Amino acid sequence: MMLSVDKKIDISEDAITEYATGNLSPAKHAIVACQSEICEEVSSRVAFQEQIAASMIEQVHTKALSPLFMGNVLANLPPQEAAPNIVNLKNNTPGTLSHLLGCGLDKIKWKSLIPGVAVHDVLGDRNNKAGDRLYLLKAKGGMQMPNHGHNGEEWTLILKGSYNIGDKVFARGDLHIEDEDEIHSPHINEGEDCICLVMTQGPLKMQSLIPRLLQPLIGI
Amino acid sequence: MTFGNETVIIDNMSNNEPKSYSDTRRASTKSLSAAKRDALWLHSISNNQDARALSDLFEIYGPKLKGWLMARGVGNGTAEDIVQDVMIKVWTKAGSFDPAKASFATWVYRMTRNRWIDHKRKHGRMDVRDPDLMKIIADDEVQSAEVNFMAQQNSDILREQISRLTKAQQMAIRMAFMEYKTHKEISEETGLPLGTVKTRIRSAIQALKANMAKHIGQMQ
Repeated sequence: MMLSVDKKIDISEDAITEYATGNLSPAKHAIVACQSEICEEVSSRVAFQEQIAASMIEQVHTKALSPLFMGNVLANLPPQEAAPNIVNLKNNTPGTLSHLLGCGLDKIKWKSLIPGVAVHDVLGDRNNKAGDRLYLLKAKGGMQMPNHGHNGEEWTLILKGSYNIGDKVFARGDLHIEDEDEIHSPHINEGEDCICLVMTQGPLKMQSLIPRLLQPLIGI
Repeated sequence: MTFGNETVIIDNMSNNEPKSYSDTRRASTKSLSAAKRDALWLHSISNNQDARALSDLFEIYGPKLKGWLMARGVGNGTAEDIVQDVMIKVWTKAGSFDPAKASFATWVYRMTRNRWIDHKRKHGRMDVRDPDLMKIIADDEVQSAEVNFMAQQNSDILREQISRLTKAQQMAIRMAFMEYKTHKEISEETGLPLGTVKTRIRSAIQALKANMAKHIGQMQ
């Protein structure tokens, strides 16, 4: 795992509790699932709370399965899968994400927004104002993203490459959470493209005129 | 039903379990046998294609998982469909179960929760994508980073430690993990400020984590 000087693992215990209990939206749930795959620290925090959540199952009022349930399932069992192969993360795609995409990051069809920036919708529609949306964003190394704020929260999980905002560096495995009051303009670090999994809750608020005019066209 | 290689499993587990707890921890001996029993069944499912072991596991866990889903507002039929999917997945993926990483209870809980989130995603307003791509949200296969802490835990020790928390802390854990409400909903219902709700839950989890660490330390 890549380590940066100013390591940001910006997920609260509260969010992990909501993840463990299944209270996050599907988009946020996917982000936390992906982060726990690629960030060891988050993985163990999540595992601990999942264990608490799982232990609560013992206290739930059980509901009997219907009489035919067991017979039906046992009569229709598919073949078992071969012993686990060591899942590789070499193409940088967390398992959660490749399930959602149906492929790895290397096979994605990107949609270009502005020169140097491309997106790919994962859940929901970026142009829809309601609900949490999840999409992948790819930005070219060395570029400055347009200055923007948000109408709701923005969660950005860095999967590849890195960017900085002021002196804070965000790299693979980091989750960068911004609320609606913050305005930022990430600088993508030179070298490789930066690919992020992004959850937004409302359209971005562009600060300067040109991106503002472009926004309805490009849809971020 | 045969447990041909059970010694292998027991050895695996004893490498990861504290060795000298039996005198001091009667309560956890009982629980450890539940975790061991589950691990043996899993082993038999993956090594001997033992459908009977699968059926035994789900005689125990099926009604609990269905109860959990229905407590979360899932209808009877859907709850049973989800349990069925999970049961089939336990069958096909039994070879990837690693008793050193998590208990079966945690593994199967995580699968059930993820399958339920997946169901919400497919049937919620966010579903705008091609249904063919909407495969299972990746769950069970999540490639977690190594979690050593997990290896030494067991849900019954956890429950015991929960029972040793203060009443207020127990209530906070219960609110967060058993009432299936978001922090925001808890805040609205109790009239406590959101920050207070979060702090109480967080500090109860921290206390539990500290107790667990201490307990495990004593056992080693």
